[in-house]
Amino acid sequence: MTLEMNDPIATVPGMVEVAGVDKWFGQNQVLFDIDLSIAEGEMVCLIGPSGSGKSTLLRCINHLEEINTGRIRVGGELIGYTEKRGRLHEMPEHEACRQRVGVGMVFQQFNLFPHMTALENIAFAPIKIKKTPRAQALARAQSLLERVGLGAKAGSYPSQLSGGQQQRVAIARAVAMDPTVLLFDEPTSALDPELVGEVLEVMKDLVRTSNMTIVVVTHEMGFAREVADRVVFMADGRVVESGTPSQVLDTPQNARTREFLAAVIR
Amino acid sequence: MTAPVQSPPLLMRETKLNVVPVRHWGRGVLAVVVAIILVAVVAGLWTNPNIQWPVVWQFLFSPAILKGLGTTLAISAVAMVIALVLSVIIAVMRISPSRIVSGFAAGYVFLFRGIPMIVLLIFVGNLGLFFKNFALGIPFTDIVFWSVPVKDVMTPFLASVIGLSVAGSGYMAEIVRGGLLSINRGQHEAAKALGLNGTRTLRYIVLPQAMKVLLPPMGNEFISMLKASAIVSVIAGGDLLTVALGISGVNFRTIEMLIVATIWYLLVITVLTIVQHFVEKRVAAR
Repeated sequence: MTLEMNDPIATVPGMVEVAGVDKWFGQNQVLFDIDLSIAEGEMVCLIGPSGSGKSTLLRCINHLEEINTGRIRVGGELIGYTEKRGRLHEMPEHEACRQRVGVGMVFQQFNLFPHMTALENIAFAPIKIKKTPRAQALARAQSLLERVGLGAKAGSYPSQLSGGQQQRVAIARAVAMDPTVLLFDEPTSALDPELVGEVLEVMKDLVRTSNMTIVVVTHEMGFAREVADRVVFMADGRVVESGTPSQVLDTPQNARTREFLAAVIR
Repeated sequence: MTAPVQSPPLLMRETKLNVVPVRHWGRGVLAVVVAIILVAVVAGLWTNPNIQWPVVWQFLFSPAILKGLGTTLAISAVAMVIALVLSVIIAVMRISPSRIVSGFAAGYVFLFRGIPMIVLLIFVGNLGLFFKNFALGIPFTDIVFWSVPVKDVMTPFLASVIGLSVAGSGYMAEIVRGGLLSINRGQHEAAKALGLNGTRTLRYIVLPQAMKVLLPPMGNEFISMLKASAIVSVIAGGDLLTVALGISGVNFRTIEMLIVATIWYLLVITVLTIVQHFVEKRVAAR
């Protein structure tokens, strides 16, 4: 017990632990010494101006981007590497794939598979990767579609769906793998304004009814205020401020945060 | 204070514009010239005393010609399937992160796209001149598990298929590579995020989508391969042209036999073009 007390990570094991992360794109540093701990079941909204590194941080958590320094752990497990005798070893592909199954992702551009129906999009990964029996996977996919309000669209191809509908299918697709952590990368930014609401409703429902750890990069301040447990404000590749929605959105401590909020909340 | 806009009262409502079209004199003249040329060419062929049309009709459905046609279709179809498989393999190797693997694929494309098909066919057809045996063993040792003389297996048919498919795959690999690269990054990322590995992403996500993009150019490739198959006559591939030229060597009616072959080539290509049209329409509907 005493040994663990010395290690803050071990005593308060967050579901997602980001520690001392730097990220460079070529000569350009986009993340500066990021520390972030997200508890199991917590819902965190990452906000900040564009180019502040929010999306990059999210993509690093899923190892879609490689970090240059620091460590990222999900469920206590180092992401993308194994550490042996002080050296990092790149993970073999099947290990990295296994890790990604535990971390779902919803993209700004939906990225549904256009050659599959809505139902197939959702059932595909459970069948191929989790080896779920086909009938069972399809039944689950259908019930997920109903949950996002698209029960009648099972046989539709993505091109036959509106942006909002596609994003709801994409959410169902991510949820179908039962990830412990679900990441949303600006899920409503590519949508027509009148379609934003339906996607946010599905996400709110998900936050309320599931025990997944959820991280959302968003510009929807109203949504963040309503459902986030914590709001993290990033600017210029750094975490500037972090706290409850009312702390960050109503009484921001940092000038940079105030400046950003004044610009987005009219 | 402006008065409300009122349209002028209509005495009689026009139901249709009555317009005198502008005259395109140039177009009219060109049409007449083209028509005269066409009639002259057709009449010239039809009434030419040196072309004996009865010979054409006599041989059009002769068993030898039909057998040659069958061989042409078989060579093209088999070569197309092999070329398709080869081109996908080469295209995937071409985009491999390993320099050696992608370099090998680049060399393959360079070589087989660069060598004229007729040269390649003569090479393959005469493989027996510089390789005595096909052997399965351990390279650079004397250990051989299985061996067979080249001249026994390298029939004109096999040589034709190999030549056509290798040459075709050089071109098609570049088309396939273009198709693979046309799939946007988001698809790769979505597959990755679901936990798919590279092989599965390629097989279930990228290739099916790429195939859709590739269908029209591949249809064209098949049509060109059918036409290119006439080249195998240089190694006596037993195809339509080989047979037609063989008959002309006996009856000395070269032009007539070429017309017979031409009629069949045009017919088959017309059918293929129609099939391709419907396949493309079906794919586009999805």
